[in-house]
Amino acid sequence: MTVSFRQVTKRFADGTTALDQLDLDFELGEFVVLLGPSGSGKTTACRLLAGLETPTSGRIEIDGKDVTEVPPRFRGIGMVFQNYALYSHKSVFENIAYPLRIRKLPASEIESQVKAVAGLLRIGDYLHRKPAQLSGGQAQRVAVARALVWEPAICLMDEPLSNLDALLRLHMRTELNRLHRKLDKTFVFVTHDQEEAMTLATRIAVLKDGRLVQFDEPRAIYRRPANRFVAEFMGRPAMNTIDGKVEGGVFRGGAIVCAVDCPDGPVTLGIRPEQIEFADAAAPGAVQLTVDVKEAIEPDTLLIFQNNGGAAVTLRTQKNCDVIEPGQPVGLSFPKDALHYFDAATGLRLA
Amino acid sequence: MNRSYKTLAIGVLACVLVLALTPYVWMLLTSFKGRLDILSPQPTWFFTPTLSNYPAVFIDKEYLPLVYNSLAISLGSTALSILIGAPAAYVFARTDFAGKEDLFFFFLTTRMAPPVSIAVPLFLFFTTLGLTDTIYAVVIAHTSFNLSLVVWMMRGFFAEIPKEIDEAAMMDGRSKFGAFVRVIVPLAAPGLAATAVLCFILSWNEFLYAFILVAFEGRPLTVGIPGLITPHGTLWGQVAAVAVVATLPILVFTFLVQKHLVRGLTFGAVKG
Repeated sequence: MTVSFRQVTKRFADGTTALDQLDLDFELGEFVVLLGPSGSGKTTACRLLAGLETPTSGRIEIDGKDVTEVPPRFRGIGMVFQNYALYSHKSVFENIAYPLRIRKLPASEIESQVKAVAGLLRIGDYLHRKPAQLSGGQAQRVAVARALVWEPAICLMDEPLSNLDALLRLHMRTELNRLHRKLDKTFVFVTHDQEEAMTLATRIAVLKDGRLVQFDEPRAIYRRPANRFVAEFMGRPAMNTIDGKVEGGVFRGGAIVCAVDCPDGPVTLGIRPEQIEFADAAAPGAVQLTVDVKEAIEPDTLLIFQNNGGAAVTLRTQKNCDVIEPGQPVGLSFPKDALHYFDAATGLRLA
Repeated sequence: MNRSYKTLAIGVLACVLVLALTPYVWMLLTSFKGRLDILSPQPTWFFTPTLSNYPAVFIDKEYLPLVYNSLAISLGSTALSILIGAPAAYVFARTDFAGKEDLFFFFLTTRMAPPVSIAVPLFLFFTTLGLTDTIYAVVIAHTSFNLSLVVWMMRGFFAEIPKEIDEAAMMDGRSKFGAFVRVIVPLAAPGLAATAVLCFILSWNEFLYAFILVAFEGRPLTVGIPGLITPHGTLWGQVAAVAVVATLPILVFTFLVQKHLVRGLTFGAVKG
């Protein structure tokens, strides 16, 4: 079973283009995360797949069948909403049972299926409660249970964790990971949190301004970002991007000078904060920068350096930085194999 | 809240209560008075009560079917208004379309003209249809003003329900209409009940349209009362008896739903 977006464009009545010619294919059993900042079209893509919106042009196919005009109830898709959207007048049991009631299953079967999925999500003790009596995390589980109880092939989740507090969010993330491994289902998960995307996804689709920027495994997206936007969006703190110029294999940008494998001309150099190394200022290829701010987020330390008017450079290390104070110069080196090169004009990855 | 403020508030409320309730209490007393007590130049709180006014008007004058007419008209008009108005309000709450707010305002404008200005056109209209002197004419006439009330109040109630609830119902397997009928309507039930009660009261109390459209067969209680003003004098005791019976359902309904009624009115007004 595959899901395909074919040249899908969605324009809203007010003229905004939410999605611009999206092409995306994924397989059964994947955990696809649609990732992007607000306004990137990730929620629109999810709602189009659900059938809650109709594309302005293009087609959506499930298993090779065109479902573009098929109403939601015939698509075989379950969905979890950001605000849970539980039926407040029904008990938790009835909320979960509702998709089965609509399908007119016999009562005994409904009972056993609801109990099974409630057990899976560890909400078996709350079945008699009303949604108003649940905590955020419990309501979230009920919403997931309702989306899964009738065993749809695909389960959509539109920012399901963003209404939970930080601790609970981590916990639910683990639960979802466990659930995905246990059930042979396709999950499509919308989020703006790159960490959630990295931990949950089998593949991440990064969207920006309604366009697909990169679609790959989390590792590949982190290690080989397709452009400057992805590089800066993935990873916290963000990848350092330094605008400068290459002349004869040497890059210069602000106070930074380092050897590169890159043809001459303007270029944007990228390096992850944890890949910048301390170096003796006298050593060949070392650069001296002044510490602007020091943030100790144990066990890591973030050092933010000034770069002669250019964008600040951030370093992340687990080394002991107790003796380093703001205002102090520090010798750094930029290992060649950790560098990323982006086109200075388009931001696209070079090589 | 400090004490003097509270005392003042209670004082004001008491004054309003006395002003509002005195005529009602007077009417209640009148319905139990004999003709002499009623016409006595010295009004009195104490008299020998009689029950004769009630059978005199409801049995002898055959006013009992009027209660049935009033009920049929009010229930019919309420049902019709909700049936047409609630789906319309739902569309107003959920869908965007060109001219939406203008159309919404148009519903309100139907209530801006003084009722008497459309009384004659209405009469001609129903004469053409051959519906005059039937309760159907009154049901339709009352629906014309109750409909705008339903649309205005229910839009607020529906808008209060997150639209993800409709969408969740659709993902769970309902059609768009199914989601409205099976999920949204039950969720909006308190608001729907408040709106229905208000429609019922407005229709139950209405006099002008009913008076113009029906004369005999389909008369509701409100139209029955002027029939007691005879060339030989006004039968005040019977007028009061009919009025007491006419106010009973309103009292009962208001007590039953007053909580929802206040909430319904304020939400409808603010959020509409």
